[in-house]
Amino acid sequence: MHDPLPANRQQPAILQRPHSYMIRTGPFTTKIVTEVSSLAALHRWCYGSDHGPDSAIVNFNIRIGNGPLLRRLIAPQATFAFEGESPFQPFPRNHAFAFFEWGLNWCIATRAHQYLMLHAGALERNGFALLLPALPGSGKSTLTAALAFRGWRLLSDEFCLIDHQSGLLHPIPRAVPLKNQSIDLIRQFAPEAELGPTFERTRKGDVAHLRPPQDSLMRQFETARPRWIVFPRYRPRHPTRLAGTQKGVAFTRLAHNSFNYRLIGTTGFECLSGLIQDCDCYSAEFSDLEEIVRTLTDLAAADT
Amino acid sequence: MSLLLEVLRQPALIKDFDGATWNRFLSELRSQQLCARLSYIFEDRGLIDACPSPVWTELRAQRYRVEYIQSQARLEVHKVRKALSETGIPVILLKGAAYAAMNLPLSRGRLFSDLDIMVPRQALERAETAFMAAGWKTEKIAPYDQRYYRRWMHELPPLRHPAREIELDVHHAILPLTGRLKPNVELLWADSVAMQDSPFRTLGPQDMLLHSAAHLLQDGAIEGGLGGLLDLHDLIIQYQDEPGWWEDLIDRARQLDLGRPLYYGLHFTKTMLGSPIPDDISRAAAQFAPRLIGDALMKAWVPRLLTPHYPRPRPPTIPATMLYLRSHWLKMPPALLTKHLLTKALMRSQPTKSGGTRLA
Repeated sequence: MHDPLPANRQQPAILQRPHSYMIRTGPFTTKIVTEVSSLAALHRWCYGSDHGPDSAIVNFNIRIGNGPLLRRLIAPQATFAFEGESPFQPFPRNHAFAFFEWGLNWCIATRAHQYLMLHAGALERNGFALLLPALPGSGKSTLTAALAFRGWRLLSDEFCLIDHQSGLLHPIPRAVPLKNQSIDLIRQFAPEAELGPTFERTRKGDVAHLRPPQDSLMRQFETARPRWIVFPRYRPRHPTRLAGTQKGVAFTRLAHNSFNYRLIGTTGFECLSGLIQDCDCYSAEFSDLEEIVRTLTDLAAADT
Repeated sequence: MSLLLEVLRQPALIKDFDGATWNRFLSELRSQQLCARLSYIFEDRGLIDACPSPVWTELRAQRYRVEYIQSQARLEVHKVRKALSETGIPVILLKGAAYAAMNLPLSRGRLFSDLDIMVPRQALERAETAFMAAGWKTEKIAPYDQRYYRRWMHELPPLRHPAREIELDVHHAILPLTGRLKPNVELLWADSVAMQDSPFRTLGPQDMLLHSAAHLLQDGAIEGGLGGLLDLHDLIIQYQDEPGWWEDLIDRARQLDLGRPLYYGLHFTKTMLGSPIPDDISRAAAQFAPRLIGDALMKAWVPRLLTPHYPRPRPPTIPATMLYLRSHWLKMPPALLTKHLLTKALMRSQPTKSGGTRLA
């Protein structure tokens, strides 16, 4: 597997003019200004370069700057700033892409309260959406990535954005961060998967990003109606199991899993109640990717 | 000129904004944390349709955070009431807590991070004991900072209940004890107003404005204070039509030794936000003006600091540095200030773990 970029094609920092470009993901437009050339190149690779008119309203102004001058000589760092404020500590410059993705998640989670935001993967089949809400380490990203290569449209790996009024899910297809063993697992599972460079020893271990499939990017403004909620859990050497979950239990689990359920108050309660009523709720245990993908695809086929 | 200031003076200007102008405006708005507040200004003026739909969506969405924080503050007020109910200690709600409890229009969309209350100085210790007994904890701060608060400041070190999010600041005066200006707290209590359906009190209307001006222009480093200036403007709009309001304001400022901050407050709301201040009141407030050079410097620096600059200049500009030094100068006599700054510098040179959250 080749890296999409030649490593370290960086010029000396002082000679660079900052790159300035926009990324459109789902309902959000992000403007990025950065001196880190490798970041700009990875963004082009992942999200393409056509992002609508320059006059589009920008939701997130993000500056990925060079870290302190002295550090540049030893271990170069980069900094993250949203609207001129830096909420985070500097990070290694060659991990800029991974940190940008996490930083943008933070921007969305703290500001996009026009949606009920769940921490969940989401995929679509026949116009209906499958939600995979889960805790870190449950195999959510791996399962989301796997389904995206077996006939499901990737809507999101991190955020389920539920419209307060309509209850529809707004896609936000972004790079899917695969961690540690999942990287090779997905390479074997779907040889056609386009993976970016592996960022080694981040705070979440080794991370490589899966580029969203072209179809998913092309149709990123097409909403979907939530239909199934499945709480996935990866359990090594366990047989695949799909069992119904009581709606009351599912409600509580989703309320805890949401980024802003408490913050948006009664709106959140009404939105989540509607979502739970519209969906069948399950929990799933799996160790074999092919099997769980088949089980979930059968579920969708039987139901639509 | 800042777009945000222009829009605050004349909201209908947004009708002519193009995409690039909106983006500049939004950047100023976000960095000043005024999105929700502006959403209400646009709504009141019938300007929702003048906002492109992604703009209105974003501004409106920020109301949720404000409403959440205000509901947390209401809860905190309720807990304060319970904690002090047996003690009979009187309480005045200050600033944001008062505006919200009184349902003043200016509290709509107004973001705040802590609950400010005032108790009589002789009851301070009893109040602190009652809060500790009810589960509030002092924020973890260095012993030096503890002593700093207790000996020289006008408030206790911030309190927080581990199960809740709002910080509780318990004041016994409105400016530091060591400061240049020493408003008589007895007078504040004497003119305070009892609230309906609550055992708490608020400052009198004039005192509320004077406190707000003192907080913005005497106490802090002024930076990032456009929200504070907007508070002054909104309080003026709120009370200007009450009979005798303006004359009482001047008298009261003299009584409380808060003439200087009032003079600056009226000057800057008028020149920057176009607040409707009668000419004879401006002239009367001029008696509180400082000598020529100080006056000229403040008039040159403060607008440069309050005007939203995006992105914020780094390192800080000369006016920012000078006004920061001024805020310290006003807070303490020179000898004490020197000792304090030296101690803080030494403390900073010790390794600490602070300095921003780590990403992920």
